[in-house]
Amino acid sequence: MDTREKVIQELDKRYNRLVGTSATNLCTHCGWCIESCHIFKATGNPEHSPVAKAEKVRRVLKRKHDWLSRLFPKWTGAKDLTESDLDEWIEAAFKNCTLCERCVINCPMGVETPQILATARGVLTAMGKSPEILNQLTDAAIAREENMEMMEGFFRKQIANLEKQVQERMNDSNARIPVSEEADILYVPLSGAHTMVPAALIFNAAKANWTMSLFEASNYGVFVADIPKAKKVVERVLKEAKKVKAKTLVVTECGHAYGVLKWEAPKWFGKQFDFEVKSLLEVMNDYIQEGKIVLDPSKNSEPVTYHDPCNIGRKGGIFEEPRNVIQASSKEYKEMTPSKVENFCCGGGSGMVACSEWTEDRLLYGTVKVEQIKKTNAKKVVTACDNCLHQIKELGEKNNLNISVSNVSEHLANALVFS
Amino acid sequence: MSTINIEKVLDLKGLLCPIPVVKISNAIKEIEPGNVIEATATDPGVMMDIPAWCASTGNELDSMEEAGGVITFRVKRLK
Repeated sequence: MDTREKVIQELDKRYNRLVGTSATNLCTHCGWCIESCHIFKATGNPEHSPVAKAEKVRRVLKRKHDWLSRLFPKWTGAKDLTESDLDEWIEAAFKNCTLCERCVINCPMGVETPQILATARGVLTAMGKSPEILNQLTDAAIAREENMEMMEGFFRKQIANLEKQVQERMNDSNARIPVSEEADILYVPLSGAHTMVPAALIFNAAKANWTMSLFEASNYGVFVADIPKAKKVVERVLKEAKKVKAKTLVVTECGHAYGVLKWEAPKWFGKQFDFEVKSLLEVMNDYIQEGKIVLDPSKNSEPVTYHDPCNIGRKGGIFEEPRNVIQASSKEYKEMTPSKVENFCCGGGSGMVACSEWTEDRLLYGTVKVEQIKKTNAKKVVTACDNCLHQIKELGEKNNLNISVSNVSEHLANALVFS
Repeated sequence: MSTINIEKVLDLKGLLCPIPVVKISNAIKEIEPGNVIEATATDPGVMMDIPAWCASTGNELDSMEEAGGVITFRVKRLK
């Protein structure tokens, strides 16, 4: 089988009604999506407009799936795939699109450009052409479970150190970070301490019945659209949730991980889970509303703004909870413009932060975000996704924004009053 | 007795995961098979991420130690 045949076969595997209608029927080339894209706005390059990026895949899909394009390809712009198209797909699907979906909500026809480009990501992965580091990080997550005997020792050592920090900050030697024990809440962090210590302070302060997962929430399998591997990464956590008899699985502040566990995994496994899936943002807001934690907003005295991560906000529908949490734990809150469903992507999403070969492009793609932050006059940017956190920190340093950046739980933990 | 040839030293202190893995992944390509990268990091996440990355990429975690909040580890390129 030659490359072209293999690509067509891989495309067919991923062809569904959503991709099909978006690719062949809906787009009228009206151009409304162009100005909605943070990457086009940063570069001004027409090749970076959503319509142009989707077209690179659309024309190949049309050639096979649209009757008019099968008969008269020149009329519709359809074309047969060539090997050089794949290089263009890498640029369009991985480097020049963060799958933020802002173009979708600004499209009068609802064309799902990110779905078309995610389909291209999956094909490129199957062809061995997706970014190596994203595949390595996916495989490393799977290796963590396969080598759990060795890994668990490292993890428990790490947690023991962090537990001491929590006890010192709370001045309470009974404060704990239970690991994979039976509990109502299974909290799934990232591998960094900044997603563990603040959450542990909050759970301990709220006297929650909780335990920390042995695994990290992040799932690079979705960035390379390798669903079999992405399922493996999720499966580890599902098994653990069953083992600890969790009633609620709480996902840390990680945009794609929340989307995967809340929306995608039930579809992949064809069932609703026995436990509820919540974002840590929702849980923190619950604790405040229920009076389970006490806060001193004066501990966060600088003006603070919130960046809505695309996967949490636009795609996840969580807008008010982080704002409630930040406002309850700060003296002065500044809203970003635009925000919520119309917020712009920071430019670091969908794996871009890990792709060091595109660092310069990524920082350029954050131009709109830099302007948004400047206009708030905030001295601190709080967000709820690690990709956004990395990107905004780097944007701040590169553009001398003189800001600090943290996730929401760190911000809240800083304002906690321990009794 | 085998000798350890440290070809590259990386300071990854202050970097949060997955960036230390990204830096190791890039650096490993720049050293000869059999040679070693020695790195220092402060994010405890490396204590899980680096062994897992080594296991999945066929490189060897030669050592990993933590002292005073600084984690020092050595990765040997095997192929």
